[in-house]
Amino acid sequence: MAEETKTEPKQKTSSAKSTESAGKIRHIVKRMYKKAQQAKEEKRKVAYCMVMCNYEEILEAMDVVQVYTENYAGLCAVKREAEQYMKKAQAEGYSDVLCGYAQVGIGFDAWRHELGAMPPDAPDGGMPDPDMLLGCSMGCDPRWKWYQALGRYKDTPIYNMEVLMPPSDADFDAIRPYYVRYMAEELRGLIAFLEKLTGKKMDYDLLMSIVKQVEETRLWWRKAYDLRKAIPAPMSTQDHFVLFVPHHMLLTDTMTLDFYKGLYQELKERVDNKIGVIDDEKYRLLWGVGIPPWHSMYILDYFQTFGAVFAAETAYMIPEPFDIPPDITDPVELIALRAFERNSALQRRGKEAGGVPPLAQAHLERIRDFNIDGVVMHVTRSCRAATMGQIHTRNVIRDCYPRMPVMFMESDIVDVETYSEAETKNQIDAFMEMIEAYKKSQK
Amino acid sequence: MAKIALRGLTRAHDLYELRGERAKELAKRGRKLIGYFCSYTPVELFTALDLVPYRIQGKVGKPVEKAGQYLESIVCPYVRSCFDIALSGEYDFLSGAVIPHTCDAMHRLYDIWVYYLKPPFSQSLYVPHMTHPASYDFFAKEIEYLLRNLELFVERTASEEDLLQAIKLHNRSRVLLRELYEMRKSSPPLISGTEIIWALVAGMTIPVQEFNELLEETIEEVRSRKPESYSRTRLLISGSEVDDDDLIRVIEESGAAVVMDDLCTGSRSFWQDVDTSKEAVAGLAERYLDIPCPRTYRPGKAAQRFSYLGDFIRDWNVQGVVLYTIRFCDTYQLDAPEMKDYIQSLGLPVLYLEDAYTTTPVGQWKTRVEAFLETIESRRE
Repeated sequence: MAEETKTEPKQKTSSAKSTESAGKIRHIVKRMYKKAQQAKEEKRKVAYCMVMCNYEEILEAMDVVQVYTENYAGLCAVKREAEQYMKKAQAEGYSDVLCGYAQVGIGFDAWRHELGAMPPDAPDGGMPDPDMLLGCSMGCDPRWKWYQALGRYKDTPIYNMEVLMPPSDADFDAIRPYYVRYMAEELRGLIAFLEKLTGKKMDYDLLMSIVKQVEETRLWWRKAYDLRKAIPAPMSTQDHFVLFVPHHMLLTDTMTLDFYKGLYQELKERVDNKIGVIDDEKYRLLWGVGIPPWHSMYILDYFQTFGAVFAAETAYMIPEPFDIPPDITDPVELIALRAFERNSALQRRGKEAGGVPPLAQAHLERIRDFNIDGVVMHVTRSCRAATMGQIHTRNVIRDCYPRMPVMFMESDIVDVETYSEAETKNQIDAFMEMIEAYKKSQK
Repeated sequence: MAKIALRGLTRAHDLYELRGERAKELAKRGRKLIGYFCSYTPVELFTALDLVPYRIQGKVGKPVEKAGQYLESIVCPYVRSCFDIALSGEYDFLSGAVIPHTCDAMHRLYDIWVYYLKPPFSQSLYVPHMTHPASYDFFAKEIEYLLRNLELFVERTASEEDLLQAIKLHNRSRVLLRELYEMRKSSPPLISGTEIIWALVAGMTIPVQEFNELLEETIEEVRSRKPESYSRTRLLISGSEVDDDDLIRVIEESGAAVVMDDLCTGSRSFWQDVDTSKEAVAGLAERYLDIPCPRTYRPGKAAQRFSYLGDFIRDWNVQGVVLYTIRFCDTYQLDAPEMKDYIQSLGLPVLYLEDAYTTTPVGQWKTRVEAFLETIESRRE
């Protein structure tokens, strides 16, 4: 059996895509893991990483190959191969309600430690054994705590880094100076760590040029994203849940810049020609907060049978716009400032709107901008960080749109055992009836 | 209003049973009380501004009634319980809430708490997850920012001297608590783990000056006790929030003695003093960020990270450890297996209990605790 066939899922778990760009992602992902494995063989430095830590440009400038472990867990779930790693982590004493990604990752490395080799038949050839572990505090606790736990199986050097999320009601002008200063110090600490580990010196001019390239990439992704406001929707959330991959995992690759330029062109063409995801778009849905059920992505297509399209989402959000201030010449300062401005943008707008919590603000903006008729949120048993606040967000949405239907779909990010297809379909049936009634009432 | 005893452990017990009563009394008399979470909130700031710190607690075993309309069922059950109690109006005597960004649940609770409860004063305090030199500088700035907002709230300022006096008062509590913990070293200990919980919880609900008096009386009372004539298996309990005596009572009623703890509500909240030779805010930042909780990253292998536990085990002559984690707590659950490895490497058995902040499993606990004690006994034989 060919290697690629061997790692295909036992059953189809993916959803239908409407863009050609989305169709390219599977190949990109395979190539990404292959390149990481080759890099390891070539003795280049490989790092375990977390997305959205603001260190991508620094790692690229230092020629460190990035392997995103959470997303590998997602890949394992897509292939329905996560369970074996979760069971291994549980056998090692980790709780079955621990973050599902962390369970997969710890199970994977515990198994590798036990075998002294890559776990057999690892999806896409597996994650290469890293030379460093780079966690960060952005998003949730397991995103740094997991790497600390790996100390049980390996002596790999760790640099866990603070990435600050300012409080929602802060005086942003008052806190900016010391928030930015701390972030910059954390980045400088990372650079010192990398210089020691790689024996190379940071090239700050190169770093600045990579930062500029990344911002250009984001600009094109944002331009493409804005096209999605069109009716009919030119692409769906199903597409988004693969299209974010180059941005999140291959951000500094020049291919990524071209990829989002290509996506923009493709979407523009679809919008100009009024090509929608489905022929008769009746309802526009928002995939609210909650990482999707990677093990059963096809369930999103079921909504389409009712004429409903996921026009937007608040998961794996595109970064907030950021204009590079011309007076900043130090790329480290620039990254630190950018992190602060981006991580406080929703808070600021929510505060201006009279005290709307940032998560709810993200939903309200999309409901308004994308003409949304209803919201689906995914309650994920093993990811409290993306689940806590969903009811609150629903309540705030209802303060503005009193009758808007909101559905809470329950399963998990990786654990398929938590998912019941029959129950979920029943729930969707009832939800779509509510959407129909809501839409009529709006006319 | 129920009458609270005037002195010593009986007073501690009454304050534990009737928690909030003394605080309500103070509020009625015009004192302002600020509710806070976690051992990471620098309560000295409140004291310096004549505000009373009140540690927000849940109620183990009380079913969640209203919080389900706002918080998901898979959220930290302790947080759900606290919010439920607040929604019921039991914390209406508080003039504010300071919720540190210590873990995911606390971070997300802040917006929800403020949105629905609308306290007159509120602030989220960002506690760094890292312990790099810059983390301490940042935390000092964050503490300064909290202080400035508190000053605006009470319309007065706290001088360096005010802060120093407050630090000294809280350091005094820490010294007294450590003195009380010393009395757990004898075999059998002079004070039970259950009684310790009463004293600790009482201290979370009254002004520091009153707590210091209470501790002085309690120490005097305990010192005059005659030790029991039989020995008990000596246990340490490690975990997060234990603000209820149920679990420890079950352990002690099974014949063991809980002689030491590593809890947010226990030793972790008072083991280190604030260094008074430093500028107040810098001293506070250092002291609070150095609390050894799994929510803060500390480099090193288990033997280094948990060495303080090894010290407790040695100094309090511990024979077994109960690891108690609250369900859905990622930071504890990610540490628990390594912590277990470390304790076992010292030759001690470990009982691991994962709980949903309820009293439902009391029967189960009893069975498991008894089996655990038998294991320790058979090892000794």
